[in-house]
Amino acid sequence: MLTWMLVLMVLLPALAAAVAAVVKGALARWVAATAAALVAVLAVWCCLASYGVSYRVALGDLPWLAGTLPAPVFGVLLDPVGCILLLVVTVIGFLTVLYSTRYLSTANRDHPEGPEAQGRYYFWLLLFLASMVGVAISPNFLQLFIFWEMTTVCSWALISYYGTPKSLAAGFKALVMTAAGGLFFLGAICVLFAKTGSFEFAALGQLPGHWRSAVFVMLMIAAWAKAAQVPFHTWLPDAMEAPTPISAYLHAAAMVKAGVYLMARSVISTSAVPPKVALLLGAMALLTMFIALSYYFIQDDLKRLLAYSTIANLGYVMLGVALGALGSVTALRGAMLHILCHGFGKATLFLCVGAVAYMTGSRSISALAGVARTMPLTATAFFIGVMAVAGVPPFGCFWSKFMIVAGAMRLPGAIGPVVVTLVLVESLISFAWLLHVAQKVFLGKTTPVACVNSDPPPAMSAVLIVLMLGCLVAPAIGIPLVQWIGR
Amino acid sequence: MSIAELLAVAITVLLVGAVASLALARWRRLAGWVSTAFVAAAAIAIWVVVLRAFSSPAEGEATVLVLPGLGARLSVVVDPLSAFFLAIVATIAVVATLYSVDYMTHFAGNTLAKFYPILLVFFAAIVGVLVVSDFLFFLVCWELMTLTSFFLVTFERENAASQRAGLKYFVITHAATLCMVVAALLLWRECGSFHFGDLLAALAQLLVTRPVLAHTVLGLLFIGFATKAGVLPMGDWLPDAHPVAPSGVSAALSGALVKMGIYGLVRFFCAVLPASAAAVGWGIAIALAGTASLFVGTLTALGQTDSKRLMAFHTIGQIGYICLGLGVGIACLRSAPTLGALAIMGALFHAANHACFKACLFLGAGAVLYRTGERDMNRLGGLAAAMPLTAGSSTVASLAIAGVPPLNGFASKWLIVATCLLAGMRQPLFLILGLVAMFISLATLASFLKVLGAVFLGEPNPERQVSEVPATMATAQIVLAALCVLLGVLPFWPLRFIREAVAASVPITVPSASELLGGPWGLSVAGGGVALAVWSPLALVGGMVVLALVAYGLQRAGGAGTREVAVWTCGEEHAAATVRYPASSFYLPFKHAFEGIYPRIRWRVPAFPAGVRRAFDVDSWAYQPVARLVERSAGAVSRSHVGVPQVYLLWIVVGAVAVVAIVLGLVG
Repeated sequence: MLTWMLVLMVLLPALAAAVAAVVKGALARWVAATAAALVAVLAVWCCLASYGVSYRVALGDLPWLAGTLPAPVFGVLLDPVGCILLLVVTVIGFLTVLYSTRYLSTANRDHPEGPEAQGRYYFWLLLFLASMVGVAISPNFLQLFIFWEMTTVCSWALISYYGTPKSLAAGFKALVMTAAGGLFFLGAICVLFAKTGSFEFAALGQLPGHWRSAVFVMLMIAAWAKAAQVPFHTWLPDAMEAPTPISAYLHAAAMVKAGVYLMARSVISTSAVPPKVALLLGAMALLTMFIALSYYFIQDDLKRLLAYSTIANLGYVMLGVALGALGSVTALRGAMLHILCHGFGKATLFLCVGAVAYMTGSRSISALAGVARTMPLTATAFFIGVMAVAGVPPFGCFWSKFMIVAGAMRLPGAIGPVVVTLVLVESLISFAWLLHVAQKVFLGKTTPVACVNSDPPPAMSAVLIVLMLGCLVAPAIGIPLVQWIGR
Repeated sequence: MSIAELLAVAITVLLVGAVASLALARWRRLAGWVSTAFVAAAAIAIWVVVLRAFSSPAEGEATVLVLPGLGARLSVVVDPLSAFFLAIVATIAVVATLYSVDYMTHFAGNTLAKFYPILLVFFAAIVGVLVVSDFLFFLVCWELMTLTSFFLVTFERENAASQRAGLKYFVITHAATLCMVVAALLLWRECGSFHFGDLLAALAQLLVTRPVLAHTVLGLLFIGFATKAGVLPMGDWLPDAHPVAPSGVSAALSGALVKMGIYGLVRFFCAVLPASAAAVGWGIAIALAGTASLFVGTLTALGQTDSKRLMAFHTIGQIGYICLGLGVGIACLRSAPTLGALAIMGALFHAANHACFKACLFLGAGAVLYRTGERDMNRLGGLAAAMPLTAGSSTVASLAIAGVPPLNGFASKWLIVATCLLAGMRQPLFLILGLVAMFISLATLASFLKVLGAVFLGEPNPERQVSEVPATMATAQIVLAALCVLLGVLPFWPLRFIREAVAASVPITVPSASELLGGPWGLSVAGGGVALAVWSPLALVGGMVVLALVAYGLQRAGGAGTREVAVWTCGEEHAAATVRYPASSFYLPFKHAFEGIYPRIRWRVPAFPAGVRRAFDVDSWAYQPVARLVERSAGAVSRSHVGVPQVYLLWIVVGAVAVVAIVLGLVG
């Protein structure tokens, strides 16, 4: 039963994608919303059904590999790590689709969009949802890689959706960078197969010493490219040319998380990560956090600011994973929790920016002020999003960041306190800047640009309300779930 | 019901009240009354908790939630120290909410949906801070308190000053919280738990084994708590944030929020330090920080013309007194338990007193603001006739904060200064600090004479029709003023409870109440069984009442009438109200003498050097060259596509030959 539900979760959105591409007009969005809602319900059910256990079933094999591998190539795997990603992907995916049904309309002042081309949008969005579910339930590296590359293609298509020269260039850049990372992933898989004859996650542990380091470094490069970590961080801000719901979903909540998910998967599956590799991962994560932070102060586009914040927060997850590789289960759990909490927080922020752009036609920090007067719900959601992402208790990311820094504190000697101090300094500065920007945009005297009538349409407002609640309750769902990791 | 259940009721009532007031926000007064009702109900539950905590032996901890992975659990316990602060918070909360009912009708441009709900959650968070006994959840409540107070400070959306002040407040206090996070984690690294008891035990252990680490932890905790309490220089947020908040909130901030910093200091510093060798050093440090705050804060207040900003600086000053008392207490508790306990009790008593008189003063300033729209004291004057209740309660509170007997400020300051001077016999530094505190008390009096003179006395502005504030606002002020008198005349009773609070929080046995304070009719500071200083307010008040009656009798007997005279202006010719002596002209010599005492620092966003920028610009040196290379090679390859089938066939042949050659080469 659970197996077929999991398979259905991949097939259903893929099928709906095909339907959405064919049907005309408003029907596409209803097909998309229904499919996404079903997948979200299924995902919640699957997570409850497999709560606390690692559920694994083999489904099929490649004919020429049959019998040579310890386990068939294709199958499903659902464990607490996968559950976290699955919940983020499906729940926020549904909310994104729901939001998109109103966002893509002629009433949108930022990008008026008629109903004709929307089939294409929902096709890629649903295909992405299917591939992301595939990433979350893949039992080995090979299957993971296949879905991984599918997400890259969807990302390219959706970034370039508007078809302007800028968005085409941005889409190409994202494709080149993430596909180049994907090549390293492929290389890692080849080495793994050549050396151990297996694609399993756990096979990493069977690799001989220096090969293990090499494979980890290759996986790390793939993860950096996917998660927009230094030195591959430049594609993400450019990818903000995408429609805002796409930025919220692919480039904050879901796709970029695939990169950190790969690292988490690798670290969890084997207890023998070479310490030098783990240190490199952690150091690059810290570097990423500060480099991303340094870009905050010169941004005028709200979405680009949020993109840099995403990069920094993915750095937190990477840091947590690295600490996990160095032996701290708490930090590893914190990293997984951060995937969930940051997903909700950042999606809230992006969709608020989308709502502001929808109503006012502007995303410029300098042009907007006093938006709260006419859009109180959006303003509330944005402030809650800021608190959630910056890690102000009781909202989501406080708990995950706290677990990560608690793990860092357990590092031996003076490294622990130094890392904790660095992380907290970054956290404080980014909090201060985001709060400043929130005040600048939403409070103060209303500028002419911001003179609009009301909050966005009900469907979008409802999504914002759900996300606000998500920011608050995400840790309540996530903390019990991550307790199962690393047992 | 157990204490934990009562607290759950109180917090639930506050949260339900938040939802109710959110639903009713459109009807401003109704929302206010509903909020007041819910706060009052919660306050009753809390007062029951307080009385239970003092009367019956301590109830054990109640654990609500456990996070085994982190070693944290949400557990709740009310000891007399928590109960003491709970009493302050419950009282101030009711008064501040009641006051807001009418006060908040004034902000037409701002919906109250962002006032009452947040205010009620704010009170709930403070209650949480006081009752949890686990540092992780303490931090959660602590930041929830900061978060909600941030939104209360920035309530006036279009006022740029409130936005600036709010940002400053939140960022500074968030930084302080992060310091506390580091401190907690450093201790957690040692003991693997966030429970207060374990953390304190670990800290006490560290003080012996690894003093450097222990002092780092203490320093971080001090920054965390002192920032919230408003100790300079970290308390710099306070003079900006308090004036811009709605006045009810200013009162709650000054009365309740900054006291949480004091609570934290007592909870952590008094619980560990007195038994250790570092007591004297930290005691002196805290006392010095307190004295610096009271000196700088009060002298800066002297020059202010904005009434609420002036009071905010006085909050810094009065918190300085509290810290001075705590410092003396920590330093002396082991060598002289009586003296030390009295100093800490004085400090805590001053915290309660400060909550009463400072809240009353903020409410008074708010009342003036409500009727006149002015905070600038240069443009106020002569309101005593129009607003007698406000003028009366503000006068009582002003005298109380200045430490005029027999009001409450005198009783607590007397304890602090007396213990300071007596401790000076062991540690001469304390003698100097005590003298500074006495001098500053004078400056406080001067400052508030200016407030009273500039706002309530003098000629009223004839263009302004002013009347007394509505009954809710007046009641709130009168209640607080009455408390100022009551606590001042009967200091023994509150101090008995405070003794319990101190006894519950310090690691040293504290002498009994009668031994510490003498009889129930006054206070005494004893040294070696001999009363060294005695203060008996009832006798004094009794004497004053008798003298007043005698004077009145003489007047009646002599048939002397009263006469109205113009204000005496030292013989100077006095003209219109516009050229009268304004508030900014008071104490000019002081202002000049202490000009640079409160420097203002301007912060700017750092500019990165161009080289660093270029190095960070990975696109320009990594992606773009690669992208260009790809494009160029694609162009080169495309040139081979000539569109002539024969050429393509030739390529195939050449390719096949090459492949065969390579294969042969490899095989052969």
